Amino acid sequence: MIAGLLLFLILPLAVAGAVYAVRQWAALSSLLAISTCVALGIIIVVVPLGRTIDLWGRQIVMGGTLSLLGRELVLRDVDRVAIAFLYFTAAAAFALAWWASPRSLLLPVGLASLSLLSGALLIRPLIYAVLLLQLAIAVSLFGLQHEDRPPTRGGLQYLSFSLLALPGLLTIHWLMERYALTPENTALLHNSAILLVLSFALLLGSVPFHLWIPSLTGDSNLLASGFVLTVNHGVVWFLMLSFLETYPEFGAHADFASLASTAGLSMVVVGGFFAAAQRRPERLVGYGALIDSGVALVALGMYSDRGLVLALLGLIVRPFGLVLMGAGLQDLRPPGGPGDALESLRGRAWRSPWGALAFLVGGLSLAGMPTTAGFAARWALYRALAPSHLGSALLVMAASVGLMIGIWRAFSALLSRPLGPDGEDEETKGPAPARRTLLTGLVAAAVLSSICIGLWPQIITPISLQLASMVTFLP
Amino acid sequence: MAILRALLEQLSTLAATPAVVGILVAAPLLVVSRDWRLNLLSLAAKYTFVALLMTQVMPLEMVALKGLIGWLICLIFYLTEQQSKSLTRAAGETEGLSLQTWSAARIEGWRRQGVSSQGLFGLMAALMVAVVAYAAASSLPLPETPAEISLVSYLLAGLGILLLGLSQDPLRVGIGMLMFLAGFDLFYVALEHSLVVTGFLGALSFVIALVTAYLKTVQAASIDTGRGG
Repeated sequence: MIAGLLLFLILPLAVAGAVYAVRQWAALSSLLAISTCVALGIIIVVVPLGRTIDLWGRQIVMGGTLSLLGRELVLRDVDRVAIAFLYFTAAAAFALAWWASPRSLLLPVGLASLSLLSGALLIRPLIYAVLLLQLAIAVSLFGLQHEDRPPTRGGLQYLSFSLLALPGLLTIHWLMERYALTPENTALLHNSAILLVLSFALLLGSVPFHLWIPSLTGDSNLLASGFVLTVNHGVVWFLMLSFLETYPEFGAHADFASLASTAGLSMVVVGGFFAAAQRRPERLVGYGALIDSGVALVALGMYSDRGLVLALLGLIVRPFGLVLMGAGLQDLRPPGGPGDALESLRGRAWRSPWGALAFLVGGLSLAGMPTTAGFAARWALYRALAPSHLGSALLVMAASVGLMIGIWRAFSALLSRPLGPDGEDEETKGPAPARRTLLTGLVAAAVLSSICIGLWPQIITPISLQLASMVTFLP
Repeated sequence: MAILRALLEQLSTLAATPAVVGILVAAPLLVVSRDWRLNLLSLAAKYTFVALLMTQVMPLEMVALKGLIGWLICLIFYLTEQQSKSLTRAAGETEGLSLQTWSAARIEGWRRQGVSSQGLFGLMAALMVAVVAYAAASSLPLPETPAEISLVSYLLAGLGILLLGLSQDPLRVGIGMLMFLAGFDLFYVALEHSLVVTGFLGALSFVIALVTAYLKTVQAASIDTGRGG
């Protein structure tokens, strides 16, 4: 009998090796990566905990506790939803990578990261989860490096800021163990709370530690950046919730709600301001991610079940904004050129209309505009915030307007006619017509999904409701 | 293994003041110097002295493992620099690779130009970090660790952050990250003796070295493509 948990640790890693070996055949490597993620996503959703299934003559039992190197791997209901989110998001990112960036290392590196991130969600105590997350972040740099560009400084900044968060998160475990033995020593709790706040501020890119986010999207592979800011960031969020559940003293701290709100609002304000002034569409994606993270923290700062549901809903719909926007921009970027200024994107929408559409729909979703996936979470947040925190609601709305100004400026450049005849003949070699139709179908499906969720949010809200009901740190 | 153990036991007599002095010399040199050969020697020396200091708080076998990881990282960086130098030479940049040529060029450079302003700035910044580390170790000593380990932990972490802030070259950023991690590791081994944690921290150092080496090669290759063709 095989423990099902091992599937999520070993299979992605094994497939990553295979995908790397066959990466020159884009279709084969993409289909291998996508099918693995979809299969594992379906298994984690469909197979109930404790149920034994037969797979190729072997019995696999899902759930329970598994001991690995003397450490416990535990699959809880909340982890099932989180892992399903990771794998389905990764499958979508890999499908779009097939279209927008088929030669990148995102596929093998993404699969290896998924293996480490699944381990981070399952392993206990949390110090091992933190170490696995750091490993995944370090590995993801291979995927972030763009094929035809200088080394990614944004990627290095991302790794540096994440590494600075490591000592705090590892030391908290020791401090809280001491606090459990000597509860009268409140300095231990106080120091742990400071370390927790600082560490997650670094990991989530809260102001003033936000500089790595626009840098990351500015000079890295955009789809890989989208992967990092949804999948890796998703695990950071689940890890934060695990910390709050493991040490309920943090959640019950008098300053918790105000701290989360303040951090969130600072991200929203800074992101909105710089997004409005941004003339580099790639960095605009980063500021959009900053706003979205800030909005989720504002929702968490409501310190209620409703706020938690909204924070998680924002997290679940984030790929429809970031991954789609990143994929669209990746496709629009001229090959080999700098591609990071508005001028270089002038008129590109006429060459790559699907890229322009993906960029637009992704951007609208990130700004929380109606008829896109992001609207469901954002509208519900406005309604929840307005009665008691009208100022916060207005600031979130202003940030969305700021992001929309940036998107409008970029989209105007995309739609304008090219300045000269340069580049008329570029990109003559593209995928074969049959494959182009298939890939265009993938983008159309992604865009359509975003619009469907925007129109019928009840498709996705039960997931966040279910997820929030499993998180128990709130009073 | 028995020979290694005996060797480490002999060397652990240097675990206190000599190791601290060694780190106080080697670590700031990594901030000040721009010469990759000197930096690699300093990095190897730093890992050796850190391993010696660790003998105070953890078993010798685990110290040996950490030392080996450090030296392997130095080897990765050495091979990467060789690779990137050969790529940039192919692109038209010339630099002698023999030790004699290198040392003669260094001495001639120092004789003619003295220390560069960049080096002086690095030296001043490293001195300031050392003063802050001393003050922090005196007023906020790290729990469960001897005083000299507290001082070295603060110093390595501070210099690591300084290097992260000052550098754009992938390998120097990598050295900064590894220095920060080494400083924290030195403190954390006193709190957590788990072999799995040691393994994870070692793996993390190794992946950081690999990824920064990869980015350095990409940088050299982009110079090669840009100039050479």
